[in-house]
Amino acid sequence: MVRTQKRKLKKGLGVGYCALIYLFLFLPIAVIITNSFNATTSKPYMTWKGFTFDWYIKLFDNSALLDSFGNTILIAVCSTVLATCIGTLAAVGMYRYRFRGKGVIDALLYIPVVIPEIVLGIALLTLFAKTSIPRGILSLVLAHTTFSIPFVVFNIRARLTGYDNSVEEASMDLGAGKVETFFRITVPILAPAIGGGALLAFTLSIDDVIISYFTNGQTKTFPLKVMESIKSGVSPDVNALSTLILAGTTLLVILTQSNLFKRRK
Amino acid sequence: MVMKTKKGAAISIATMVSPVTLWMAFFIAIPLLYVAVMSFCGTDENYNVVFRLTLENYRRLLDPSYLQIYMQSILIAFLTTAFCILLGYPFAFLIARTKSRKKALLYMLVIIPFWTNSLIRIYGWRTFLSASGMLNTLLMKLNLIDTQIDFLYNIGTTVFGMVYCLFPFMILPLYTAIEKLDINLLEASSDLGARGASTFFHIILPLTASGIFSGSIMVFIPALGYFFVADILGGGNSDVIGNLIERQFQSGNNWPLGAALSMILIGITLLLVKLYQKCGGDMESLGV
Amino acid sequence: MKKLKMGFCLLLAALTTASLSACGGNSQSSDSTGSAGELNIFVWTEYVPDSVIEQFEEETGIKVNVSTYSSNEDMLAKVKSEGEGTYDIVQPTDYMVEQMISQGLLQELDQSKLTNLSNIGESYLNPSYDPGNVYSVPYQGGAAAIAVNTSKVPSGTITSYADLFDSQYANSMVVLDDFRAIIGMAAKSLGYSMSETDPDKLAEISERLLSLKDNIKLYDSDSPKSALISGDCYLGVIWSAEIALAMDENPDIEIVYPSEGAYLFMDNWCVTKGAKNYDQAMEFINYMLKPETAQMVMQEYPYLNPNTTALEGMEDDYKNNTAKNPPAEDIAKGEYIKNLDTDTLAIYDQMWTELKK
Repeated sequence: MVRTQKRKLKKGLGVGYCALIYLFLFLPIAVIITNSFNATTSKPYMTWKGFTFDWYIKLFDNSALLDSFGNTILIAVCSTVLATCIGTLAAVGMYRYRFRGKGVIDALLYIPVVIPEIVLGIALLTLFAKTSIPRGILSLVLAHTTFSIPFVVFNIRARLTGYDNSVEEASMDLGAGKVETFFRITVPILAPAIGGGALLAFTLSIDDVIISYFTNGQTKTFPLKVMESIKSGVSPDVNALSTLILAGTTLLVILTQSNLFKRRK
Repeated sequence: MVMKTKKGAAISIATMVSPVTLWMAFFIAIPLLYVAVMSFCGTDENYNVVFRLTLENYRRLLDPSYLQIYMQSILIAFLTTAFCILLGYPFAFLIARTKSRKKALLYMLVIIPFWTNSLIRIYGWRTFLSASGMLNTLLMKLNLIDTQIDFLYNIGTTVFGMVYCLFPFMILPLYTAIEKLDINLLEASSDLGARGASTFFHIILPLTASGIFSGSIMVFIPALGYFFVADILGGGNSDVIGNLIERQFQSGNNWPLGAALSMILIGITLLLVKLYQKCGGDMESLGV
Repeated sequence: MKKLKMGFCLLLAALTTASLSACGGNSQSSDSTGSAGELNIFVWTEYVPDSVIEQFEEETGIKVNVSTYSSNEDMLAKVKSEGEGTYDIVQPTDYMVEQMISQGLLQELDQSKLTNLSNIGESYLNPSYDPGNVYSVPYQGGAAAIAVNTSKVPSGTITSYADLFDSQYANSMVVLDDFRAIIGMAAKSLGYSMSETDPDKLAEISERLLSLKDNIKLYDSDSPKSALISGDCYLGVIWSAEIALAMDENPDIEIVYPSEGAYLFMDNWCVTKGAKNYDQAMEFINYMLKPETAQMVMQEYPYLNPNTTALEGMEDDYKNNTAKNPPAEDIAKGEYIKNLDTDTLAIYDQMWTELKK
């Protein structure tokens, strides 16, 4: 009797603790959503002036904000494609062959993963300034590709451990060329890992603040637009766009991953 | 025949590995070397970088006021890591070992907030904690306080914001490590008469240490550089090394000094990574 | 983590299509109106109203891209590192105009296009930092004045910068995140020049500055009024117009021009060397000199406006508001800062780091 009570108490404590952590994680989200309905029109948009849907409509008149979102997506798509191609080739090549300087490439790949982003940001800034690569979409794509490549490589490499070479060999024995084997055998086998790496690259790109901050020129991504609006008080339409992004993402997760809500396997 | 294969392999290696080699050389190795060289340069009266070998930047870095900011930054990163472990470990344990059918959902709920831009979430905290913000208003309404409490703009709020930003980087490796725990081991331990605390310190903790190590690396190092958290929640009163670097590359207009500061950050990172590897940490687990 | 990011990305892919088509629509519409070209301006945060930009775009068909900065030094760093042609127009303060001219970063203005220049008051033309207004046209100015919330500190208690150093105001102040302004203020409170170069005096100023450390709660140049309005800070050393805006929101707040003489500034329109859109830039500057435009600016950002034609047309309660229209004697008492050599600048940087540690 005492024991079940004790166990119940323990369980209750556990649930309560988790609830508190979730509160900690979600509270700012609640603030963002609330402020997206705030009727205030005066900076710094802090005081509550009543409920309105207006910002969700005004949002679509704010071309600078929409452009920044478009830039974010464009840069993410370009850098993801680049990083995935380079990363996939590299992961397979480095797994399959032994060659001089492999350790150096490995070390270079670890750098963007462990180094504080600000260091990479200023390093790329100095490079772009020195080489006169124009700051804008191009420099952002180059920068984002750079920090994404390692994540693609590591993702695929994790899958390659225990990879069976015999299928490839069989393919070659049957007369398929190296290139053909790569595209028809290797890539399909690795597809889930390649996809996972690409998604990670995409996510890193759309959320990046620090490296973009140093390499953007006049081009604004959505995170940089947020950074700028923080200076004078984040206006409710920025909150509204954030809310829409979050709502859409969550909805999509619910639709595509409905197994989350079922019993786990 | 042998020659041909070797040649063929060489071509394959070249096509597969040269893109990444060139890319990483041009966008990682060269810029970082350039930063290293720049840290020994000076500036002219128009703030342009001029190449002359000088230790002046490093001499300035030894100035007591800089040293104090490094210490402050390391303290902030340390506190952030400690809080992430203390708050995160029980939480990760509970969600990783739950028998609830909603386990995947619980895990998912840790990630969802991070799909919203981190700056705007940090700003959300600022709105919430401000003197006339929701928390103060609520506490006043409940008659728990009579005067507004000052939450914002100190070292405490900076640490708070860092913990908030970096929390999932601690949770995810912890979750993975804890989920891997073999339930039989725990049962065996308790069958052998070990008590809860003893099982924890002798079995669970050593087996999940890898998660703590990689989580700590992934929290501690970024915390040294997250200048925007110190700006937004710290009010400029609790700068980290990242703020110093940012200032020299922006308003300070002294790139060589900023480069030297970056070298300090690179040094700390290398030191910690070496330490991590010494402890048996796996580099790959930092990447995913 | 990877798996869970999947859904997120799928949605973004969907959103991408939506937004790209939306953006496509946008750029098309701007193309049809944008035959007049583009203009890239780099201006202070909270300084040029969106409404003015929109009106300019509508009237001229020129698409304006706005970027913002928080200090002259930030702007200089960006202009230098981005390469020529990134920005067409910048907005440097007095001393920075001089510096940018000497570094060859600006180009001469075509005076024949500045038909509205006559609206600017005589006293604001031909400044010492740019004789003959060859490179610059004044936009707005003001002072780094003191803001006091009289519900916390009785009116009249604080009359000078020096009063702010009292330890009873611990953890109460919002100050500009601008090393020239704050070091200048500390120098002024000791009776020194804001552009002091003497090392002994600088050491004294540094010590003085450190005694302010405990009183400072927040550094903010962008929107320091926020912390005053929200009540997070009850004293401030901030731009005069920011105080004016805070006063509009909270009547307890009042402005004090320090008895030592305030830090003064005058910001200017300049065109960068290598600007890609010179004609559009000249059109924009001339547009900003129109009295009607200046009045729109003053309504939103009530700084000291050199456009005397515009000021005459303002309501009396604007003209009589000492925060919006600083009294002539306070302006006369104030001081504009000067450029410093690199060695002195290094000392200033060190003083600033010391303060912020």
